[in-house]
Amino acid sequence: MSGWYDANLVLVQSTFVGLLLALSVQVPLRMGVFSFAGVGSYAIGAYTAAIVVIRWEAPALLAIAAGALLASFVGWLLALLLHRLGGLYLGMATVAFDLILSVVTTNGGELTGGPTGLFGVIADISMAQIIGVTLIVVLLLAASERGRIGRRVEAVRDDPELAAAMGINVRRYRQAAFVVSGLLGGCAGAINVLLRTTVGPADIGFGLVVLALTMIIIGGAKSWLGALIGAVVFTWLPSILAVVGEWQQIIYGTIVALAAIWVPGGVLGLVTDAYRGIQQRRRLKELAAAGAADVVEDHGADEEDLAVLEELAQESPVERQR
Amino acid sequence: MTAAVERISAPDAVDPRPVLEARDVAVHYGGIKAVDGLSFALTPGKIFGILGPNGSGKSTLLAALTRLVPLTRGGLIFDGEEFHNVSPANVARKGVARTFQTVRLLTGLTVLENVQLGQDLHGAAAANGSPLLRRLRPTRTPSAGVSEAIERTRLAGLEKLRPGELSYGTQRRVEIARAIAMGPRLLLLDEPTAGMSHGERREISELLKDLRSEGLTQLLVEHDVQMMLDTCDYVFVMNFGKMIAEGSPASVVREPAVQEAYIGKRWREAADRQAGGGERDRGDEHA
Repeated sequence: MSGWYDANLVLVQSTFVGLLLALSVQVPLRMGVFSFAGVGSYAIGAYTAAIVVIRWEAPALLAIAAGALLASFVGWLLALLLHRLGGLYLGMATVAFDLILSVVTTNGGELTGGPTGLFGVIADISMAQIIGVTLIVVLLLAASERGRIGRRVEAVRDDPELAAAMGINVRRYRQAAFVVSGLLGGCAGAINVLLRTTVGPADIGFGLVVLALTMIIIGGAKSWLGALIGAVVFTWLPSILAVVGEWQQIIYGTIVALAAIWVPGGVLGLVTDAYRGIQQRRRLKELAAAGAADVVEDHGADEEDLAVLEELAQESPVERQR
Repeated sequence: MTAAVERISAPDAVDPRPVLEARDVAVHYGGIKAVDGLSFALTPGKIFGILGPNGSGKSTLLAALTRLVPLTRGGLIFDGEEFHNVSPANVARKGVARTFQTVRLLTGLTVLENVQLGQDLHGAAAANGSPLLRRLRPTRTPSAGVSEAIERTRLAGLEKLRPGELSYGTQRRVEIARAIAMGPRLLLLDEPTAGMSHGERREISELLKDLRSEGLTQLLVEHDVQMMLDTCDYVFVMNFGKMIAEGSPASVVREPAVQEAYIGKRWREAADRQAGGGERDRGDEHA
């Protein structure tokens, strides 16, 4: 076990970073906010952590906190700026935000290291710290999918007008989506730069948007568990497919395409649907046995309706003629 | 006494101040005057009805009262305070609950969770029993207000089902339960009995009258004239965005203007069709 862990340490670490990155895109989508700003937050988190470590020799957790907080603050500003946008237009605006950051870091001079980026980001970060941060994030997100907040998030995503009629401040929830996305993306970027000790413009490009989106489409967009499945699959799949050599990209692409077409709810959606189907059949059987079939099936006319229809039919001149 | 009932206070016989007052309310979409200068007052503890043919502006009026569409002109007063600048979310917090013309339930949630969404308005304490960290805790046991709303709308036993597994009439009842769970001061119902059987309609009518006896003011938009006659204390009739009549349900349906705009036209057409069909049949027989 220890040998396997040592051999695959980089992949294990990347899985945690991938999970946080996927969550930074999934959280806004769960609230119906079509934003990819989490990837830009990843860049802000990575560069901020790198700068505070290189310049002030900040410890790992402080560097992660600095990256995450700055990214979430920028996320809040972005929410204020883009609050009138929705759907594809918001998606495009946030992708533009990601690309602008790529340009800014390329041209950031000494602060960002220009096109070559920053090197020698050395701070002690342990696996326990990474697991600790991820666990806190996952526990909070898992809790937010249930109870009062879970129901309200569902309302904001599926029917904002209904949500407003239920007393929910939809705009505030959407702003929160940007802020949380910033925190998560910032965390992912900061942890990654502390593990790799280097960051450059090439590490924060459009490829990350595609990777994060692929993870949550394949895993499942509605729960943290979907992001975890996606992160595990797409961190480990390339190394598993290494045996097929140059066919790797084709097989990878085919899996993504097939999953997007045939399993739109992702792996998690498939499992959830199957579980709910079994539950539904059992409940309908119970209700049928209890004689309550009329409330779950499309009822036709009840006895009183039939009596009225019969009366009308008798009174109708057409019927009388027959 | 449950949370929902606590908020529905007894009718105030001393203070007849309206719960909601509309003053010259208008909603125009470009040249279309969906609602055009309506004024009325909803006094506490009564069921008011809005009658009118399709496209007469009834649903637009409800949307305006809940601030989902902006007013072109006029003002709203709720409990003596200006109401026309309040955000839609604050409308609900001030105590206005509504149901929609087409059923709007969250299909991913169970019946219980949909009803809990109404109660959620009153914060984590009402939903989970504690305002602190438990705000994130899943609610396994429904609060008394939610349980009562479910009982009153005859949904007991269906809590774990999802809206897609229910008949249309039952989905309507879930919507009403959700609105009751909000513990409102004013309940706006947009065609609450559409798609229901006679028996179900009678049950809903009785439920609304029960809520009235507890002091809840209600405004009911309905096509079913019999439902209006059986349930409402006072009826407004709209046509082309204007109020063409108001009064007790029995007196309003006798007004010539109302019969012409809504009831007479429909009945006359039906009678003409029947008479025409009958004569044609008789003619065929003679030939």
